[in-house]
Amino acid sequence: MSSLEQNQRASFDTLLRPHLDRLYRLSFRLAGSKPEAEDLFQDVLVKAFARLDNLLDVREPGPWLCRVMYNHFIDNRRRIRRARLVCVEESQLRGQSLDSLPGDLDPVRDAERLDDIMRLGHALATLSDEHRLVILLHDIEDYKLAEIHQITGDPVGTIKSRLHRARARLRKALGTDGTNSRP
Amino acid sequence: MTCTQLKEKLDDYVDGLMDRAESATLGAHIENCNDCHQVLARAQGLRASLKAYGKSSMPRPDATFFDRALARAAQTGIRRQRNRWIMTGAGGIIAAGLVLWMLGGMFLKTPEIVAPAMPSIVMTLEEPRTLNLVFSSATTLANATMTVVLPQGVEVVGFAGQREITWITSLAEGKNILPLTLIATSPEGGELMATLRHEGDDRTFRVQVSIIS
Repeated sequence: MSSLEQNQRASFDTLLRPHLDRLYRLSFRLAGSKPEAEDLFQDVLVKAFARLDNLLDVREPGPWLCRVMYNHFIDNRRRIRRARLVCVEESQLRGQSLDSLPGDLDPVRDAERLDDIMRLGHALATLSDEHRLVILLHDIEDYKLAEIHQITGDPVGTIKSRLHRARARLRKALGTDGTNSRP
Repeated sequence: MTCTQLKEKLDDYVDGLMDRAESATLGAHIENCNDCHQVLARAQGLRASLKAYGKSSMPRPDATFFDRALARAAQTGIRRQRNRWIMTGAGGIIAAGLVLWMLGGMFLKTPEIVAPAMPSIVMTLEEPRTLNLVFSSATTLANATMTVVLPQGVEVVGFAGQREITWITSLAEGKNILPLTLIATSPEGGELMATLRHEGDDRTFRVQVSIIS
């Protein structure tokens, strides 16, 4: 490898590493399954390397990378089979078997928590792609409205309205107007 | 504030997007309205459930996944770069059909060569084009320096913004081919110069680049 190539590789590594965690989470939220998320993630890293010159000039690489990932996902949506979270089996919740849930040391409560997670997963799966994505990004992954705008290109007002409707639909899908509370 | 108004503004309140005055008004309503108090509690409960769901439903990548993904992306990118432009091992010049013969170690002393009219190529804006420079040498020449100076508006693919690129090369006996993948980013065009230097001597070759849109 030439010194130029070594420099490129080092710059690439230094530039991207701080953003990989968040990028990985976004890939999973978009793709819905671990194998497809990792394919999406890898594709975006390849794209990022090809545009390393541009990336070195970008002030905030994080949103830039998220935008590239989102656009790549949209462009390849038919090819990337989305694993809708229709049924969440206990084995799919990595590390979340009853034995490994952070314990209240109360098996009944632990079972209720697992059940809550599964119910919420089912409810999210009933939403449209747009509504589910905005809930995943804003309410689950803590992206601000302005950040979601940077990723999707949609106006902030549109995103806000969509979020409002998505929450209403989620509450309806949960059947309790938004609560998982138990008697 | 009415209950209907509150429900419309509840998202902003829970998300912390409401100004202080309006937030105080909403808060005062909630203190005096049991129904709205329940609505707020449910909204906050849902947020908490979603956060918990987020933590629990995210798979962990394998410990080395990020390292492998970065390495794989760099390898793929570098391989594609190399396929576009071979920089090592051979450098040679032919511009649009011109072949320059280099004789012996004193490769610049070739008085027999009569420079023809400057060769030219035509490029289309934003369309990459590969220019093959072919250089024939009667002998191997180690540690020669090749410098390519590009006209305005022309770049080598993979070297955005660089007007001059220099590298060390060795010339094999016989034909040495250097493919340069160029792209025209603006319509100026002009002269592309490739200069080969070796042990104090140098020779410059020129190609006229015209750009059409």
